Amino acid sequence: MTKNIHTVVIAKDLADLIPVFFRNRQKEVETLRSALAAGEFEQLRQLGHRMRGVGNSYGFAKVSEVGKQLEDAAKGGDKAAIAACIGEYADYLDKVQVVYE
Amino acid sequence: MNDRAAAGGTADAPADYRVLVVDDDLDMVAFLARLLRDEGLKVETAGDGASALMQVMTSPPDLILLDVMMPGVSGFDVCRQLKGDESTALIPIVLVTALEDSESRVRGIEAGADDFLSKPVKREELIARVKTLRRLHDTRKELESRRLAAEVQRKEAIRSAFSRYISPRLADRIAEAAGEHGDPFKGRAQRTSVVALFADLRGFTRLTERNEVGAVVAMLNEYFAVLTEAAYQHDGTIFNMAGDSLLVGFNVPFAQADAAERAWRTALEMVARFEPVAASWRERHGLEVGVGIGMCAGEAIIGNVGSTHYASYTIIGNPVNTAARLMQMAAAGEVLVCGPLFERIRQLVPAGHVAMRGDVTLRGKSESIPVFAVRAGARENA
Repeated sequence: MTKNIHTVVIAKDLADLIPVFFRNRQKEVETLRSALAAGEFEQLRQLGHRMRGVGNSYGFAKVSEVGKQLEDAAKGGDKAAIAACIGEYADYLDKVQVVYE
Repeated sequence: MNDRAAAGGTADAPADYRVLVVDDDLDMVAFLARLLRDEGLKVETAGDGASALMQVMTSPPDLILLDVMMPGVSGFDVCRQLKGDESTALIPIVLVTALEDSESRVRGIEAGADDFLSKPVKREELIARVKTLRRLHDTRKELESRRLAAEVQRKEAIRSAFSRYISPRLADRIAEAAGEHGDPFKGRAQRTSVVALFADLRGFTRLTERNEVGAVVAMLNEYFAVLTEAAYQHDGTIFNMAGDSLLVGFNVPFAQADAAERAWRTALEMVARFEPVAASWRERHGLEVGVGIGMCAGEAIIGNVGSTHYASYTIIGNPVNTAARLMQMAAAGEVLVCGPLFERIRQLVPAGHVAMRGDVTLRGKSESIPVFAVRAGARENA
C-alpha cells in the first residue's frame, strides 16, 4: 500500500477505538461550524485546545496541528482563519486513511 | 457530543493497582485507559471533577491521572481538595497538561500535584511515569506496613512491661499515648497532686516465723494477688512492693478527677478481698492476720528515679511518707486517712465506721495532722 500525506500509522491495540474517535471528530466539525456561526470564540478555543491534546495522542498529528491553529485563531477572534481551519479539518477527515501496525 | 461507549467504566484487569483517569474528553479517557490496561493495570474513569472527587472518596485509587481543563470543578480544584484532605493527600496525582503550558504546571505544583504528563500523550512517557509512581507506591506501602508492624510490636512490649505495675486499662492508655521512641515516661518527671495508699500485712512477722520459706512466698503471693487485683480494679498504679507492703498511687500517671474515691474503694476492696484469705490462713496455720492501710493526699513528685543501670517509676513526697506512717499505725482491717483526704471521701464513709484519731504527730514530722480511722472490714480493728 502506498502511503500518502493522509495515511496515518496507528498502533494495532488502538484499532477498536479509532471508529469511535472518527465519529467524535465528525461531530466536532459540526460543533465547530455551529460555534463559528454563533461567534462563540471561547468554545472554539476550547475545542481547538482539545483537538490539540487528543489528536497526536492517538497518532493524528494533523488533528493537533489544526487544533493549534484553531485555538490561536479563536483567541484573536479571526473568523476567516477559523473557517479555513474548519474547512481544512473536514477535508482531512474525509481523506485520512489509517494503517494499523 | 462524544460517544461514551469508548470511554469504558471499571476494567476487569486482575491487577490490584488502581488508576483513576479523569478527563472531560472521553476519547482521551479511552486512549489513556487502553494504554494503562495494556500494562495490566485496573482503570476507572471519571468525566468531570465532581465525579472524580466522589469516586476518590468512595473508593480511593492508587494513582490519579487528572486533566487540568475541565468545565465545572477544574483539575486544579480536584488536586487542591484531595491534597488538602488527610485521607487522600498521599494518593499520587499526575496532572495532564499541554507541554508548553508552564502556567498550568506552576498552578499544578501549587495545588500539590506529584507529577505532570504532557498532552499530546506519548505512550512511553505515560508508562514510564506510571511505573515510577507505582514503584514509589509499593515502596511506601511496604514501609508503612513495616512501620505498623513495628509499632504494634513496640506497643505490645510497653503494654507487657507496664501491665505488671498498673491495670490493663492504664497499660493500654500508656501504650496508645507512647510516642515514637522508647520509654513513654522518659524525661517526664512532674510535681502533681496524688493520693497515696500504703497497705501492709498485720501479723506478717508471726507468719514468717512459723512457716517454711516456700510457704511464706506462696502466702505472700496470695496476699499480693488480692491487693493488686483490688488496685487494678480501681485503676491504681502500683509504685512499690517491698516485704509485705504495697504502695499504690492515684491520679498518676493519668489524671483521675475521682482519685480520692478510687483510693477509698481500693482500700475497702483490699480489706474485703483479703478476709477470706485471712480466714483460710487462720484455719490452716492458726495465724491472725489482716490488712492495715494508710492513705494521704497531696503534692508529690513522679518520675523515673535511679541510675542508668537501675531505675524505677517512683512517687516521692509528703503524702507518700505520711501514708507510710499511717499504715504502720493502722490495725488489721483499719484504714487511717489524713484529714484533707478524709474531707474528700467523707460522704462515702458510713458514719458509724469512722472515728477521729485526733491530731497525730508522725515520726520525723514537727507538725501534727488530723487523722481519721475507718473500720473497713467485718473483723474491724482485729
